[in-house]
Amino acid sequence: MKRILLILGIVLGTVNVFAQDIYSCRNASFSFFSSAPMEDIEAKTDKGVSAINLKTGAVYFKVPVNTFQFRKKLMQEHFNENYLETDKYPYAEFKGKVVEPAGSNLSTDGTHDVTVEGVLSLHGVDKTYREKGTITVQGGQVTSASKFNVKLVDHKIKIPTLVIKNIAEVVEVTVKATYAK
Amino acid sequence: MKAISLLLISCGLCMTSQAQDDLSKMFKDSTGHQPVIGTFKSTRIIMGHSNETLKKHELDFRVAHRFGDAGGSFGGGKTAFGLDNSTDIRIAFEYGITDDLMIGISRAKGSGDLTQIFEGLAKYRILKQTTDDHMPISLTVFGNVTVSTMTSNDDATSPSHFDEFTDRMTYVGQAILARKFGERLSLTLSPTYVHRNRVGYMDENNMFALGGSGRIKLSKRLAFIAEYYVPFRSQSSKDYYKSQGVEFFNPLGAGLEIETGGHVFSVNFTNSTAILENQFIPETRSSWLQGQFRWGFNISRRFSLFGKKDWKK
Repeated sequence: MKRILLILGIVLGTVNVFAQDIYSCRNASFSFFSSAPMEDIEAKTDKGVSAINLKTGAVYFKVPVNTFQFRKKLMQEHFNENYLETDKYPYAEFKGKVVEPAGSNLSTDGTHDVTVEGVLSLHGVDKTYREKGTITVQGGQVTSASKFNVKLVDHKIKIPTLVIKNIAEVVEVTVKATYAK
Repeated sequence: MKAISLLLISCGLCMTSQAQDDLSKMFKDSTGHQPVIGTFKSTRIIMGHSNETLKKHELDFRVAHRFGDAGGSFGGGKTAFGLDNSTDIRIAFEYGITDDLMIGISRAKGSGDLTQIFEGLAKYRILKQTTDDHMPISLTVFGNVTVSTMTSNDDATSPSHFDEFTDRMTYVGQAILARKFGERLSLTLSPTYVHRNRVGYMDENNMFALGGSGRIKLSKRLAFIAEYYVPFRSQSSKDYYKSQGVEFFNPLGAGLEIETGGHVFSVNFTNSTAILENQFIPETRSSWLQGQFRWGFNISRRFSLFGKKDWKK
């Protein structure tokens, strides 16, 4: 009987340990920027969510696409209605894992340069990305940041020839999240 | 005993491995009630208003034209099917004060009892349809005031004879109920009230009307639009005008709407000659069936003003 209790204690203990390694963020910020011949396009949101498991290196991001704010509201309307079709595909989601440096302990204080590999689901199209980023741990506070390029054609986001000069084919996406337990 | 402990451990592992692999379970989709966007592409349908308003700091420069009768005694080849005769022209600047409130000023040539018209308008979005049907419809209210600057007619019985300044004024109040059904179809219903301070003998100062319109998207940038108004003119007024050889018709318009980036073009055919609600609702005297329909267009160009610095923050 004692042994059972002991095992139970250990099991529950491990669960707790694992849970302690998961950090979450409910105001992850996303922005994107593209430079096209006619005009630069910029939009941002801080309505994303993210979670990270420092033990396993699993990372997760999700953002409601229609929360992106543009300065030009007409552009925002077109972004939602014509390009990203947010009625049909309301979220962009990334599920990945830290693959480099392999087996390192992310829990130690400091800034870790990492490579994350995973699948980005955007506009209903999944694509595997392998991108660089940083994970910073400082006295129990965890932040993550990354910057990477998304090619519109990879996610079947179609730009009509009429406005091709206003919209770049590659956009630079910036992600930042500050996590708490 | 061993079996129990094994079971417990595997259970524990199960729980933890689930937690590791799928972090997505931590977040529920709780975005609340999302407003439906793009019920119409523009603040106008063909003749009347849609439920859409300009967003904050947006300036809309609008030009609308209605040409002469395409057929009938004034149409045909000799007037290039009406192109030589412009019945009404309206040029407007409209501006979004907030995301839901817009104002505007315009000048219209005018077609009807009054001409040379200045218009001031305001439009406010009260309700927005949501994607989860928590709010099944959108509701927008619109109102305007017009002043005719034409020279007063010497004939004291004429509707364009002005004893006082207020005789030059007309008003419209309208509620626009709209719903977007799926991606392609949008419909509106618009109870409307028109008040003209000065009208001809047996005409009506106050008139109610019901408007209805629809849009079917043919592609992302091209849509078919149609609009119809039923003015409720009293039978005695209709009879009197008929005895004078004047018949009123219900305004009907159909056209195509083309969007290209910041522009929206609407190319349409209407039997009404006037552009302002104040005129086309009570004063349409031309009939589709007699070839008295005309080519017309609305052009809208939207600019985003200010906010560049605010936005950067």
